[in-house]
Amino acid sequence: MSAEKVDPGKGLRFEATVHPGDRDVPLESVADLDLDRVPDPQRGVRLLVSTDQIVALLERGYEVRLHRVARVEPLSPELRIDDDEAVAWLEKRVQGIPREEGEP
Amino acid sequence: MYRSVAQLDAVSNFLAGWFPTYFMRFALPEPSVQGRAVYALRLRAGRGGERRGVMVVGGTHSRELMNPDAIIELAVDLFVSHRSGSDITYGNRTWSAADIKLILETLDLWLVPCMNPDGREYVMNVDSLWRKNRRDNPRTECDGVDLNRNFDVLWGVTQGQTSCAQCSDVYCGPEAFSEPETRNIRSVLDKRRVDCFVDVHSYSELVLWPWGHAPSQTVDPTKRFTTLPSGTCAPIGVAGYQEYMPPRDLQRFQTVGSRIVSAISSVRGRAYTSEPSIALYATTGTQSDYAYSRHIANPRLRKTYGFTFETGPWAGSAADSFHPADPTLIKRDAKAGIIALMQQCICAIEVIGAQFFATEAEVTELRRIRDELLATTEAGRAWIALFERAQLPLLTTLMADEQLSSDAAALVKRAADLAKSTRARMRDEDVDGAIRFVRTLSKVPAAVEVRADLRAVERRLEALRGLTSARALESLMAEPPQSRRPNARRGARG
Repeated sequence: MSAEKVDPGKGLRFEATVHPGDRDVPLESVADLDLDRVPDPQRGVRLLVSTDQIVALLERGYEVRLHRVARVEPLSPELRIDDDEAVAWLEKRVQGIPREEGEP
Repeated sequence: MYRSVAQLDAVSNFLAGWFPTYFMRFALPEPSVQGRAVYALRLRAGRGGERRGVMVVGGTHSRELMNPDAIIELAVDLFVSHRSGSDITYGNRTWSAADIKLILETLDLWLVPCMNPDGREYVMNVDSLWRKNRRDNPRTECDGVDLNRNFDVLWGVTQGQTSCAQCSDVYCGPEAFSEPETRNIRSVLDKRRVDCFVDVHSYSELVLWPWGHAPSQTVDPTKRFTTLPSGTCAPIGVAGYQEYMPPRDLQRFQTVGSRIVSAISSVRGRAYTSEPSIALYATTGTQSDYAYSRHIANPRLRKTYGFTFETGPWAGSAADSFHPADPTLIKRDAKAGIIALMQQCICAIEVIGAQFFATEAEVTELRRIRDELLATTEAGRAWIALFERAQLPLLTTLMADEQLSSDAAALVKRAADLAKSTRARMRDEDVDGAIRFVRTLSKVPAAVEVRADLRAVERRLEALRGLTSARALESLMAEPPQSRRPNARRGARG
């Protein structure tokens, strides 16, 4: 089975962990669902999943624990370096070192 | 804080323009799926032809943002250290200017800070958790190929976290090397000498090495990936399959991995784990497995030791782990690990050979002895490990001392001559000269951490006196280095 695409800006997406549940479904089989797996600190199964994908997991007997919403959104502007800052960083790092040729 | 693709490209452009004797920047052969140029940098100091090479790749998975920044910043750190003669210090760990000089003057560093520029732009502007490239997959709304499943090593075998479904985030693509981004990496491996390779990912604080598709074993060489079908869109069909890895390679991955972990730990105590890739989860078609697999699939190709780093810890959520608000400390750890890999890629014999010999004959002969004889026994591998452990701390001192380096070259030459003839004997002057050299090395400050190893070498040299080279090699292959002296030893003569 292949997972549905999470359309940017449309569907909700969640960060979830998956557990064997009451039916003790083997976690190895989660790979068959082709979901977006991310590393889990406990070496469990942690996923970024849409609502449809959660339904598919539940229907297979897994227990799904939702931890947070993982919105489809751009990187926060606060995490982006602006152009001036990027150039200033390099100029500071090589300050005092004579350039071999003219600026590119 | 993270750089855009344009900002990353600008740094490499400025470096190559301002300091062309250090940096050569070049566009890889193919633009990305969306038409962006993909750039590589070669960083080296000094003259000369082709050298041992280390290739560092970042940005394979778009959302793992910090690694392209770390790689370009490392390039600047290495350059500044060499150009100004300054040390590099990350936290509690310092590499002396001489350490960095050795790296830049003996290796070619091939850096591809961002191999997937379309993905990085998409993360910056649309979806900060996007993983793949931006391939428009036909007959579906699902975009993207997982570039770290698209390489030609068991491509399309859906073992664990690999899929043939276009909508999957681990989609391997319609065929091996279907993507220009992966063909670009192959092109560097094809055209340049790359002895060590690392693909830098996030997160989990891991140093990974082959294999991703199965556990390794060292006893049955018939179990090789080349005998398995690829492109099946099914898991490996052999129950309990274990992939062969020569014991020497397994030892090398383990020892280099542990040294990388140790270097990272010394920065601020982060405990990375060194382990085979499959310990994280099963994969096929990955970049670092491909780099290592090439010489097995085609024995004419050079062996490349391939690693994957997973930088940074779990930070409470996937988003904060992939792109934490302040990645400074994680980038420092990553850079320490990459420098450690570069150091481990230096080969003292090749450095001496390049400096003193007109041809590679001596180096080739000693490499043959290492790979075809010593590497085949546990004791022999222990001697290789000792040499690899001792060479790095001593090489900087050795290369800075004209007499020592000249003596080392003479010993390499004599060892290669002895290796060529099984009947040649270890004469007293051979043994005495070697013992004098080892004793001199033992006295340099850098030898403090390997003095026990040097004593073991000295003891064995004494035991080899008068033996034919064949018997001497048999001895090394039968008996590992002794950490303690079994009997009173004779001093070096003369």
